[in-house]
Amino acid sequence: MRTITNKPEVLAPAGTLEKLKVAINYGADAVYIGGDAYGLRTRAGNFSFDQMREGVAFAQAHNAKVYVAANIVAHEGDVQGAGKFFRTLRDIGISAVIVSDPSLIEIAITEAPGLPVHLSTQASATNYETLNFWQNEGLERVVLAREVGIEEIKEMRRHTNVQIEAFIHGAMCIGYSGRCVLSNHMSMRDANRGGCAQNCRWKYDLFEMPTMGEKQTEADPKTPFTMSAVDMAMIEHIPDLVEAGVNSFKIEGRMKSIHYVSTVANVYRRAVDSYCADPDHYVLNQAWVDELWKVAQREMSTGFYYGTPTEDDELFGKRRKRPQYTFVGQVLDYDAKRQVAMVQQRNNFGVGDKIEFYGPHFTHHEEVIQQLWDKDNDILRRAPDAMMVYQVPVGIPVKAGDMLRKERAK
Amino acid sequence: MLLAADVDTLYLGEDFFGLRLPHSFKRPEVAEIVHLAHAAGKKVTVAVNAIMHNDRIAKVADYLDFLAALQVDQITVGDPGVIYLLQQKKLNLPFIYDAEVLVTSARQVNFWAKHGASGAVIAREVPHDELTEMVTELQIPGEIQVYGATCIHQSGRPLLHNYFNFVKEHQDRADRARGLFVSAPHKPETHYSIYEDFNGTHVFANNDLNLITKLAELNDLGLTHWKLDGLFADRDQFVSIAQTFVAAKKAILAQKWTPDLVEQLDEQVSTNQPANRGLDTGFYEIDPSEVQ
Repeated sequence: MRTITNKPEVLAPAGTLEKLKVAINYGADAVYIGGDAYGLRTRAGNFSFDQMREGVAFAQAHNAKVYVAANIVAHEGDVQGAGKFFRTLRDIGISAVIVSDPSLIEIAITEAPGLPVHLSTQASATNYETLNFWQNEGLERVVLAREVGIEEIKEMRRHTNVQIEAFIHGAMCIGYSGRCVLSNHMSMRDANRGGCAQNCRWKYDLFEMPTMGEKQTEADPKTPFTMSAVDMAMIEHIPDLVEAGVNSFKIEGRMKSIHYVSTVANVYRRAVDSYCADPDHYVLNQAWVDELWKVAQREMSTGFYYGTPTEDDELFGKRRKRPQYTFVGQVLDYDAKRQVAMVQQRNNFGVGDKIEFYGPHFTHHEEVIQQLWDKDNDILRRAPDAMMVYQVPVGIPVKAGDMLRKERAK
Repeated sequence: MLLAADVDTLYLGEDFFGLRLPHSFKRPEVAEIVHLAHAAGKKVTVAVNAIMHNDRIAKVADYLDFLAALQVDQITVGDPGVIYLLQQKKLNLPFIYDAEVLVTSARQVNFWAKHGASGAVIAREVPHDELTEMVTELQIPGEIQVYGATCIHQSGRPLLHNYFNFVKEHQDRADRARGLFVSAPHKPETHYSIYEDFNGTHVFANNDLNLITKLAELNDLGLTHWKLDGLFADRDQFVSIAQTFVAAKKAILAQKWTPDLVEQLDEQVSTNQPANRGLDTGFYEIDPSEVQ
């Protein structure tokens, strides 16, 4: 029986230490995080060195890796201290840094030898000679531009042996990442230094203007022009990605919740394992697709993988798909003798609600909450307070780390 | 006409290899222009600064051979794959690094200098206060745009056609000549040019750049490679604008740069600006601390 030996890595986002642990528990081979400096997600929870140490220790105990994104495009003065920063990451045990700006790449390579460097998608690598260039510079891996298709990846594989990482899930820039400064010009926020205001998703008027101020509107006033991409989901195309030679499957979303991270990592872990164990008898499980829809914030598409995106790959008007499920809590502990789960609340739930429990290895079950107690064993109808721990009797055993969600009323 | 206007260097190319060019010149035309320019003692820079996908990078090697044989003075490059080919081929073809919005620090420019770049086009988003720091560190000349449209977004998607298809309003044209603009929400006075071409969809800053009043300052900083972008300009008016900048250069060199002259030259640029396009100084005068 054929198996896949060069099994790709499932790489998940981790905005915080909690998300890092959740992502790894739910099957990620590696996570990427941001440090206190040089990263593009200034508003994501970024990691201090101490938090990185804890994250790396956790990852190593679970055979996983931690990468740090340092993918700003630096202006004068921004790279001060970067050498020391990279050496500290290396000494902490970070497995690689994800960098876009050549000045930071040079600093990482010359001032922190031994720390692998990956080219960020922000550098828009779209051809095999670019991959060869960066491999020649000493980079271990290139994260491809999201504009690269499956056939192009196959062609790249014929011309280069540098590791290839590709986005397989999550939100997308509408333009070539890095080549967009809409935010700088419209909002005075530097898109390439963590300030992106997502101006692409604004609603614009579109018009001709033969002379200044004399607008002749071209737009349908009911449907303003916009440049908003739907999200990517490659769950239905795992075999293509593996066979094309992608080494790392990247999930977008350092700003997203543990509900999202756990669900998406869980699904892709399952799909990749399933395909690589027996590629010739692989079937797509519809439950995986359904699962991804539970955390979807927009409609989903395959981006540029199978051709240039059309209007169906963009959000116009009011087609936005709402999440169908609400994340209500996380199991902190389970008392097997009493059959009671200790649940940390994340959204209101209570007696009578039908709750879906899910955990690593794609375990799932549903049950209706029959009873609910607070810490002091006082009987409650609802669990109203965020982050408070409630006791929930369950009919089917659960484990610490399992999550609870409920379907929204339609 | 531009040669007659006494510019030092012509910048041109073919849109298969170069980005946002006023005209896409085929190889025989490029050859003819290079001969004309060289006969007039002028230089030619050819644009090879596209974001290359595999299908294009496969054709770049041959194009580079062609340009080297023509003795083109230099090319612009924004994709490291092209630099890799230049390294492999060891061609005598100097290149200027031009990755548009990404070129924001001296350290980065110097990285490309170590890889053979003979110059770099500095991003329009670098304000004057950062330029003053940058110039002290630059190991190769920094080219700076002093006139014309500033691209602020490039998408690989046909964003205008996708929109027209969605609203079921069949329209054939979304090209540059069509002259489409977008305005931001609640800012109806804004007007960002947008068009589609072979390289995708391009969006431009609200106004074109005009740094004619800043030329002496740039000269003092040692930034003496001034780029004029004629993408949206009228052909004849663009020649007049080029003449104006040449006159400015001569005045600065002759130490005849007076406030009256500056005002007069600025007026000339405005007069020759297309009727539907504004002018400003872009990010030049912005305090870097204002940018979050």
